Amino acid sequence: MRGRWLSLSLAVAAGLVALAACAPGAAASVGVGVQVGPVRLGTVADRGGNYSLPPVYVVNTGTQAEAISVHVERLSPGPGLAVPPSWVSVSGSAVQLAPGASAKVPLKLAVPGQARPGGYRSDIVVTGSPAGAAPGAHIGVAAATKLEFSVSSRLAPAPALIPPWLWWILAGLVVVAALLLAARRFNLRITVERKTPGGSAAGPGQ
Amino acid sequence: MWVQRNWWILLVAVIALILVVLLFTNRPAPAASNGASVAISLKTVPNIRSVTVSPDKTTFSNCTGGNPDLDTKSTSTELGYPNGHCWAGDPSGSFPIKIKYTGPPGQVFVSSSNAVPSAGGSQWSLCSTGCSGSQNLPGTDQYTVKNFGANRNTSTGLAGSLTCDHEFGSQGCSAKSGQTQNEGVELIGPETTANTSSTSWTVTITWAAAPPPSS
Repeated sequence: MRGRWLSLSLAVAAGLVALAACAPGAAASVGVGVQVGPVRLGTVADRGGNYSLPPVYVVNTGTQAEAISVHVERLSPGPGLAVPPSWVSVSGSAVQLAPGASAKVPLKLAVPGQARPGGYRSDIVVTGSPAGAAPGAHIGVAAATKLEFSVSSRLAPAPALIPPWLWWILAGLVVVAALLLAARRFNLRITVERKTPGGSAAGPGQ
Repeated sequence: MWVQRNWWILLVAVIALILVVLLFTNRPAPAASNGASVAISLKTVPNIRSVTVSPDKTTFSNCTGGNPDLDTKSTSTELGYPNGHCWAGDPSGSFPIKIKYTGPPGQVFVSSSNAVPSAGGSQWSLCSTGCSGSQNLPGTDQYTVKNFGANRNTSTGLAGSLTCDHEFGSQGCSAKSGQTQNEGVELIGPETTANTSSTSWTVTITWAAAPPPSS
């Protein structure tokens, strides 16, 4: 009798384990998602200018941690000039996403001085790669959203060669030099006197 | 004493308790009733476009080809030279890789990488077109990889950049939210390899969810 109950209990426990293993979502998966709305620069870019693009929203839809990388690639033909991949870069550190986690990846746009004016259209492709690299066929995933901006024929103002703080230091040096020159020219002397406790003044070195 | 004699009753009781807890925690919460208000549900369009692939990795098997005279004939799990074939799945009806697209209507693209040796050294480059071997087969340190599914009889050679996955649509590669596709992969290896130090290689096949074609 006791043996029968033991067998029954073990069978129920084994059934539960098997049920958990076969449950939907038990298989490991790799997945990535990206915002549907395009990444658009709010202003018209000038040639030679550097801009911060709106960050792109990325989510890990798989069941394991992924390393996220971003690149620009034109996936479908259409109107507009293709964005050279070297113009867009990720600003900030490398992105790792746990299962179900999301992040906003900041992007920078650097338009070269010789860029052709006009409307540009490409895709921002976000790739998720699972950690670990055993030999065989690995599965990668990617998701893309549009990248849109326009470049004007204007040249962006050249960046200042001398930073503002250096101007302040130079101005200070000029003032000091002018004071020294004036002191020489007008024979100005600065003496420092120390008063003794008795009331008489003592000169330097005394 | 009682516990020692009737331990199995305790075990059954614990299992029953777990079942009851599981049953009740998965039940939807009862709707709040309020005589003066009405709850109206609202659905919005998805704002995330994604692709999810399972399993996260697979292995090549059913390898054929190679030259037995050179002792380089394929085994069932090892690719032989020249131009052995290996499969993940079978075009006659086994498609082990499940690709699921989610989001507003869009497209699914696919690409492959170079084959990377585990011990370092020269890689095998992908040659979907322009393979340098005889009969346009992969030459030295070249290989091809193709995907197949139930929708098309012919395999399509993958490129290094993302291209339309024609398994997703008879015209192009359009996909709707929740659409899934089961696929397999065929690999044709090089004629020879200059990399004599590696016997393990990794190939990464990437599926991508993309916006619809620009109008």
